[in-house]
Amino acid sequence: MIDAISKTSLLPELQMQPASAPTINKSGAVGGFDSVLKSVAADTVNSLYKSEMTAVAGINGKATVQQVVEQVMAAERTLQTTIAVRDKVVSAYQEISRMAI
Amino acid sequence: MIDSLLAPGKVATAGMRAQSERLLVISENIANAQSVGKTPGADPYSRKTVSFKSEVDNVSGATMVQVADYGTDKAPFRLELDPGNPAADKDGFVKMPNVNLMVEMADMREANRVYQANLQVFRQARELVSMTIDLMRT
Repeated sequence: MIDAISKTSLLPELQMQPASAPTINKSGAVGGFDSVLKSVAADTVNSLYKSEMTAVAGINGKATVQQVVEQVMAAERTLQTTIAVRDKVVSAYQEISRMAI
Repeated sequence: MIDSLLAPGKVATAGMRAQSERLLVISENIANAQSVGKTPGADPYSRKTVSFKSEVDNVSGATMVQVADYGTDKAPFRLELDPGNPAADKDGFVKMPNVNLMVEMADMREANRVYQANLQVFRQARELVSMTIDLMRT
């Protein structure tokens, strides 16, 4: 059990994190990408939340081991994707900031 | 339509679930291999069977497996001479369950193997997805 994720107080924070990144580059027209990132982040949080719920249900004996594993794997996959995308985005911004003017 | 690399996970999960149902039936049969009736000439525990059927999942469009129904084995009961048993008939014979431990063991081994095969499918699909996502890194 990942305790911190199950806390709903952390959810808005997680959703805001990637959304704040594109504001650095607000002068450029990146409104569309901004919202895409936002939805990806929300998707990740949803997936993690779902897996948490299934894990809890599994502990209570209401879900099978297979269901728990499937959901946790789905969450892992989503998190992996999000981290990969985030790394790409961060490195892109770094490239831009390193540009010689 | 779901991603065809994610569907195998769901199908394998259904397969594992079906096999665990089968394992449950086998465990019931083994546990009740000596369960006889209470009254003279009463029928003992009869072996349970389970059958599977394919089922198309509406969400993913993949063909899953599902438990079709549970049944009982119609094989005749084995007679054992045990006059002292409360279930013995007037000749002293007790009807024993039609559970053959050898058959159950073979069945259990098969369920185990099929479960492992499903697990391998799950693992493989996960690895492929993981490797594809990893393309985004570096």
